[in-house]
Parts: sequence; structure tokens; C-alpha cells
Amino acid sequence: MDALIAKADAMPSRKRKRTQPKSKTDRTYESVIKQTSLPKSLRATKSIEGLPTHDHIANKKLRRQLTRTAENAASSKLLREDAELLLTGEAGGVAVEGEMERTWRVGQAEIVEGAGHEASRGRREWKLDGGPYRTRYTRNGRHLAIAGRTGHVATFDWQTGQLHSELQLQETCRDITFLHDQSHYAVAQKKFVYIYDRDGVELHCLKSHIEPTRLEFLPYHWLLASVGNAGYLKYQDTSTGQLLVEHRTKLGACSTMTQNVHNAVIHLGHQNGCVTLWTPNLPHPAVQLLAHMGPVSSVAIDPSTGGRYMATAGQDSTVKVWDCRNWKGAIREWNARGGPAELEWSARGALAVASGGTVNIYTKPSIHNPLPARTQPPLYLTHPITHRPLTSVRFAPFQDVLTIGHNAGLSSILVPGSGEPNFDSAEADPFENKKSRREREVRGLLDKIQPDMIALDADFVGSLAPESKLTTAVTATLAEGKGPVIGGKAMPNVPYALLPRMERLRLAGKADTTEDTSDWEDDAGDDNDGEKKPKMTKEEKDKKKMRGKGRSLARYLRKQRKNVIDPTAVAIRKKLEKQEAEKRKMEQAAAGQTTDAKPSALDRFKRPS
Amino acid sequence: MKINVLQHAPSAHLPTRKGDPMPTSRNLDPLMHPFARARERTRAVNAAKLDRIFAKPFVAALEGHVDAIEVITRKPGDLTTVASGSWDGGVIVHHLARRSQLLHLPQAHKGKVSGISFSGDRLLSCGVDRTVKLWSLDSQDRTPITTFDGKSAFNSIDHHRSEPLFATASTTVQIWDVNKSAPISNLAFPTTSESITAVRFNLSESSVLASIGSDRAFTLSDIRTGKAERRVVMQFRSNALSWSPTFPTLLLLASEDHNLYTFDVRHLAAPTQIYKAHVAAVMSCDWSPTGTHFVSGGWDRTVRIWEEGRGTKPEVYHTKRMQRVMSTAYSADARFVLSGSDDGNLRIWKSKASEKLGIVTARERAAIEYRESLKDRWKMDKEVNKVLGTRHLPKPVYQASKLKRTMLDARRVKEERRRKHTRAGEEKPKAERAKAVVSEQR
Repeated sequence: MDALIAKADAMPSRKRKRTQPKSKTDRTYESVIKQTSLPKSLRATKSIEGLPTHDHIANKKLRRQLTRTAENAASSKLLREDAELLLTGEAGGVAVEGEMERTWRVGQAEIVEGAGHEASRGRREWKLDGGPYRTRYTRNGRHLAIAGRTGHVATFDWQTGQLHSELQLQETCRDITFLHDQSHYAVAQKKFVYIYDRDGVELHCLKSHIEPTRLEFLPYHWLLASVGNAGYLKYQDTSTGQLLVEHRTKLGACSTMTQNVHNAVIHLGHQNGCVTLWTPNLPHPAVQLLAHMGPVSSVAIDPSTGGRYMATAGQDSTVKVWDCRNWKGAIREWNARGGPAELEWSARGALAVASGGTVNIYTKPSIHNPLPARTQPPLYLTHPITHRPLTSVRFAPFQDVLTIGHNAGLSSILVPGSGEPNFDSAEADPFENKKSRREREVRGLLDKIQPDMIALDADFVGSLAPESKLTTAVTATLAEGKGPVIGGKAMPNVPYALLPRMERLRLAGKADTTEDTSDWEDDAGDDNDGEKKPKMTKEEKDKKKMRGKGRSLARYLRKQRKNVIDPTAVAIRKKLEKQEAEKRKMEQAAAGQTTDAKPSALDRFKRPS
Repeated sequence: MKINVLQHAPSAHLPTRKGDPMPTSRNLDPLMHPFARARERTRAVNAAKLDRIFAKPFVAALEGHVDAIEVITRKPGDLTTVASGSWDGGVIVHHLARRSQLLHLPQAHKGKVSGISFSGDRLLSCGVDRTVKLWSLDSQDRTPITTFDGKSAFNSIDHHRSEPLFATASTTVQIWDVNKSAPISNLAFPTTSESITAVRFNLSESSVLASIGSDRAFTLSDIRTGKAERRVVMQFRSNALSWSPTFPTLLLLASEDHNLYTFDVRHLAAPTQIYKAHVAAVMSCDWSPTGTHFVSGGWDRTVRIWEEGRGTKPEVYHTKRMQRVMSTAYSADARFVLSGSDDGNLRIWKSKASEKLGIVTARERAAIEYRESLKDRWKMDKEVNKVLGTRHLPKPVYQASKLKRTMLDARRVKEERRRKHTRAGEEKPKAERAKAVVSEQR
């Protein structure tokens, strides 16, 4: 027995402190590592700076897990940065050599001359007589669907010139979109939305979408959204076939729609100048803003910043750029000459504005820089097209190609630097074959995201739930002397033992209020997040003043429990003292007194500041 | 003016020869992967659901006993050989892989067989007929090699790990030599006269043995000193015990109060963990050879598989025809669990309910591992957790657990109210773990 205990105790305790600090560079390791490749488990872990500490968490297991998660996330971020070296594709661009050179003076002929043989094939003119055309690319940029106003619909592989289907529908076609890939496409026709397969066979007539004007397909949710002359936004699940939801916009006929690819929110532009943002699970717009003083003619979202910027164009021939994080006025606006504009933003952040008889292209940093004056940002490229009206502009994904649909057909122009050079074949592959297309289809169905997960903040999945704004058990019980409120319901006389764990911890003063919310995994370009929170106005301050825990705690002690000593009261007293001490410290710090140093006899000689 | 237009070289992105796989390219930029987290969550939910869909834990039932199976023992160092003893006095040695009987002794003892232990290639069995019998595994004539006579009915037997010694439990713990007919020593704690219900040697420090008795206590003794060294009296009596195979100081007790307890023998003041889920007395328990899990069988007709250190939400196995589970055991490769119940069947279950038996290809293994890590990563998600944590329970067990929860809650509230209305500091709340132990005696 004792032997057993002795044996078991002989295990070295982990708490024993190291006698000498571990040197940062291990010489043996450094010398060996040059010659060998160590297995992963034996490699020295790089110390990563700026990791969030979890020292405040008492639970050892949890602390270790959190630390490890943060380390893993940080190291994978580093590794990902490393992996950028492996990207082989080189983005295009136009570089000026002299001081007086201007990129917008470069014409398409010159660009085609300067482009390689393969790339120069992107410059094309299609002369078609189906009226003004709408176009749409597949997600891999390989296939193009076009729909003429008078009913000419075609889909084709634009690089090889292979035609998939060509239809003369003999009725008005207002928009066209591919579904998940080139094998299906939907056309907004005179009365309903129709779905055709690759060969042009009509598969479905969606009779619930009446007089549709615009179509959008949300590829990760498998939703086909349409908006029409009646002003209804309808979502149809293309994997199950059911009409998911229809939202009445109450803003009349709508002919402007776009999606934010990063959070699947649908943006609608209306006749009265409003732009509304819709998700399937809200019966009202998530955001509604008055963008223009007349009808909105086009809306586009910047995919290169994760959907952070939105551009709108109105019939009043202005173009405005908005910051989607706060809607305090446009950050930039200018007049587009020649009437209402069509907008489109490319994967690398080039904004194409087609208005009147020209297509103007602006590039990234200047569009996003706030400027109060109504001057247009420096022009990158411009291209005149005489066949008015210009009804659609689309950038081809993974190409430096912009396709403009107009009255006399289509024209493709080269826009160097607009396309993303490196594709990910797990997401969209321009070179995919039949087998990989099928595989992607099945994978896409398996990974289909439920429509109720669409929200303005797409990153809410897997992050911490925001703390409930409802009255907590603590404050309610203590302030009113009544039972706590759990989940919005008043629960009179719920005993301590039956409270939720967080409430019990809070009552005992053991709740972890120092939650560290710095998220290492969230890294989609958070570099300009450094804005400070706006200061509270006086009203807000007053409003929030009485809601603090401290007041109600103090009142609780004062009014009812003056001479009751029970664990709750003791805990509250202790907490109050702590809060007061902290407050005092803060005040002193604010007054400029540093309390950290020990008071010394020489303090009396200090000059009062 | 320098103009550069993006172009993809098809040679880099298309297979060079016919039949080659398509080259893939990666771009890890998060902007290229919208909804990466949401899609991963979807995959995690699907993984959790697949896990439940494939959860078919029952493998086989081995018949042969007429009455309840009291004891199941596996042969040390053997993957397939397992012996079971029944209330009808029969002993069967099973071959698990072939699901056949190696040895069947229908009348090994008169009355119930209360303990079985392997002694090398031979089998020791004890019964309530006051005998211990030593059998050869290939004895066809069904007569024991030796019979050891005791003064009272035996309740349990365990063989020493290396030496030819075995311990029996009756009114006292007796140590026997296989080659001698009388016990060589008696181990008894001086102040008690209880009947001992189970005895087990420690697996690492093999001269230490633990025993449990009918007077709610468990005792640790050492055969070298020949004395009982520690005795811990608990609130309720224990029905079974088991030493951890990998952590030598850890002792598992299956208690009459529906709980299991692990004790660290270095610190007997309180158990290290209480395992709560059974809704009736726990009748048996056994550690997995890996020491990370253990199995328990209960009077509530369920078999539960626990993770060491996690006191709730065990895996639950039950079938319509399985009665009170009197004995459980892990298989030697930790992939299967055996349960012997009142209905006389020995059942084989998978220890991981959704594990695939048979050959698993490399791609399949990779997919399984990916699903495992997804489940682990997303286990804090409400939906994933719900799918992973939900188990179907038989209606009586479900009702009983509901009732039990209500009762315990009421008791807690009552205790709290009582404390609230007594003078401050007079009555202190006692930790749940400390409640289990009444006293520790040396």
C-alpha cells in the first residue's frame, strides 16, 4: 500500500519551478535543424507575439485549450502568409513610366497589342440584334449567358467559342443568371422565371415569380432570388424546389438587384431612391437608406474588401460609394456624365461605370478614400461604346476582361489588373472537367448553408454569442427584490440552486467578466478596424447611468439587507468594495496621480502639475 | 507604358497526358472562400448526424446460460477468450471472434457461480457452495483439477498478476496458494465483521488489493504486510470495483446509489470524480485496457460507457430484451464491450457505436478522421452538440431519470432554504464529492 503510494508519488510534479530559465535559442537544436527535417512533434514552437493571454481563466484545462487554439490560429495565419509565396499567377496592370503618362489615354488597341496571345482573345465584339443585352458569367468565369430584351438567349463557353444553347424565346427577357454552374440557367421572362438546362431544354416554370425584372443566385445557399414589377423579393431554394420566402418591399417596382457574395445579403435599389438590404429571415429590410434623389439605377458591392463598400448609381446621374459598416453618408460621390450608370466591381477592386456612351474604370484606393468634394476619382481606363444604352457590365472572374452588354450586342474589353490571378480549384476552377464539375456539384449540395444563417455579419457563425441585453437574474432580483428574469420571462422566487450556472457564478462574484474577444481567426482584412467607438452623448450617458450593476447592488444592500449576513450579501459587499477601489484608482489615474510607486518621503518636493 | 494582361497558361492547369489527374491550385486568401466557417459548420452538423446514423453498436449475443450471468472475465494476454459464470452454476469459456464455446461446464458449482479468474492457462471459479475449483481449459470430462474448500460462501475471486496466488472474498479476504489446499493468510480490518462482496488485485503494484463489503466500506490491503491498511466508509455500499490499468492509483467503484466513483488512493477523503447517469444501482464496472474509458452495467437495464474524468453524458446501450445487467467487461483490444444480463445472454457491443467493422480504406479513414476533428471543433455549437449528445432511452429509464432530476433539484432547493433560515455560518454547504465519503479509517 505505502509502496504503491510512494510509487505513485514518485512522479515528478509539474508545478515544480524550473531552476534556470530556458534559453531562447537552443544551440543544439539550431545546429541540428540545418541538416535534418524533424518530425512536426519535435519541432520547436515558434513564439508568436501578440497572442491573447488567458491568464484570467481559472480552469486550467480550458485555459490550456484556449491558449492552444490561439496559438494554432496564429501559426496557421503565419503559414498562410507563407503560402502566398506559392501563388504563381501574376496580376495584370498598366504601369506608367513617365510623369506625364496617363493610363486612361491607353486605348484598347494598344492594350491588345501589349497583351499576350492568349489574353488578347478577351477583346471581342459580338454583333447581335436582340436588343439591349444582359450578361452573366459562371463563377469560374468560363461560361457566359446572354439575354437580349427581345428574347434572344444563349449560353456558351466564351473562350473556346463552344455554344451550349441558343433560344429565341419570342418574349421579353429582362435578366439571366446561371444557377450553381453552367448546367442550369434561369431567365426572367415576361411573366415568369424559367429554368433551362445547359442544352436549352425548359425544365421549370416558376409561376410564383411574377413579372420578374432581376435575378440573383446565392451559390452557397442554393437560393434563386428574384424581384419584379410588383415589388416582391422572392427566394426559391433550387436544391429542394420550394419557394422559401417572399418579402413585400412596399417600395414599388424594382429593377435593380445585386448580392453581396461575402454575406449573401441581397441589395435592392428602388424607384424612390432607397437602397434596401434583405435577408430571408427578416420580413423587413435589414438596412434601408436613402441613397439618391431619384430612382436607383444600379448597385454594386466590392468583393475585394469582403463586401465592405457599396457603390450606387441613380437616375440623377450620380455615383456614390458607401461604407457598409456605417451608413453615415456616402464616402465619395461624383457625377457620371450621360445619364444613369451601370456599375460593377471586379474581384480585385476595379469599379466599372458604364454611363452614356462610355465605360469608365476606376481603381481601388482612390474610390474608397473619403472626399467631400463631388469630383470623380482618378480615371484608370475608359472605353467609348456608341451603341447606347449600355445595359450591363460584368467582369469575367479570373480574367482581365470586362463584358458590356448594349443595344447592338456585346463588347468585351481588356482591363489589366481587374481579375484575380490565382484561383482555388476547390471553389471555382476555369479549367475544370466534367468529373470535377460533378464532384463540385455534390460537394456544394452537401455543404449547403441553411438560408436562415444569412445575416449582415457573416462571421457570426462559430463566434461567441453576444451577451443578452435582457435584465439578468442578478440585477432584477437585487433591484426589485423579485425573482430573476430568465430568457425574457420573469421567474418569481427561483432558488439559487436552480439558477443557470452563469447566474450563480455572477451572484457568487466569480463570473468571468474580462472576456477577451480578440479573435485570431477573424482576419479578413481587419487592418482598418482601428476606429474608436463614438463617444456617448449626454442623454445616452444619463440613460445608461442607472442601469449599472453597482447602483442596484448598493441599493439592495442599503434598503433590505442591512444586517443580514448571508453568502450573497457578503459576496455583494466584497464586489462593491472592489468596484469602489477600482473606481478610485481610475479617478486617480485620470487626475494624473500614479499610485503604483510606493509613496516616498521625497514626494513633498514634487511640483504640483 | 508597360501593359500586362493576366493570362492563365493551360499547360499549368490541364493534365499533361491523357488519364492524368487534374492539377489543382490553391489560394488560401480568405476572400476566395466566402462562408468558409458556415460551410464547415454545415459539414460538422452532417458529421454529427452521420455519426448517429451509423450508430449500430450491437454485434452479437452469445447464448448458453440458463440464468443471469453473474461474472465475466477476460483471459489476460488473450484477445478472444472470455469466461462467464452464471446463477445456474454454469461456467462457459467463449471464443469471441468465432462466437463459439471453448468450454462449457453446466454444473461447475451448486448454486450461483460468484467469481471467475484465470490462472495462467487454467480457470479458477468460486461459488456459493463454499468451494473454489480449478479447471483446465481443455478438460472434457468436466471435473476440476483441484477443489479448495472454504468455511463460508465465496463472493469473489481474483488471481495475482504474476505469482500463483489468488484472493477470495467471503466473510474475510483470504489469500490462497494454487498449490496448497488451505488459505495462507486472512486479511481483515480489525474492527469489522462484514461480508466482502468483491476483491481485486492492483494491476501495477500487484500485492495491493482492494475489497468492498456489505457495510458500505471499501478496504485497501497489502498481502506483504498481511493487513488491511485503509478503510473508507461511504454513504452507500458498492457493488463492484476495478483498478485502472494505466493509472495505478485510480480505483473505480460502482455504487448502490446509482453513481460510480473514482478514487485516487493517495487521497481518500473524497472521490476524484462522480459519474452520474444510471437511474438504478450500478451492478458492475470494468476499465478499458487503455484506461481512458470504462463500462458500467446497471439495474436499470442499460450499459453505459464513460470517459474517464467526464461525469455526465455517457454512451448508453440498451435493447428491448436485455434485462438487469449484472456484469460487464471490456474486450482486450478496447474495441468491444461485453455485458451479461439477467436474461442469460452475453452481449457483444462496439465500444464506439458508429465505428465501422471490417477493412477501412485509406480514404475512408481520412474521411473518418476529418469528421472526428470537425465534431471536436464544433462541439460547442448548439446544433452539433444537440445531435451528438442526444441518446434514445427506454421510456422507463427516461421517466426515472426525469423523476430523479426533479427529486434531486427539490432536495437541493430544500437544503438551500434550510440554510437560509438557520443562523449564518451554522451550517455550511458540503461539496457533492465530499458527501459520498463518511469516514476514512487507518
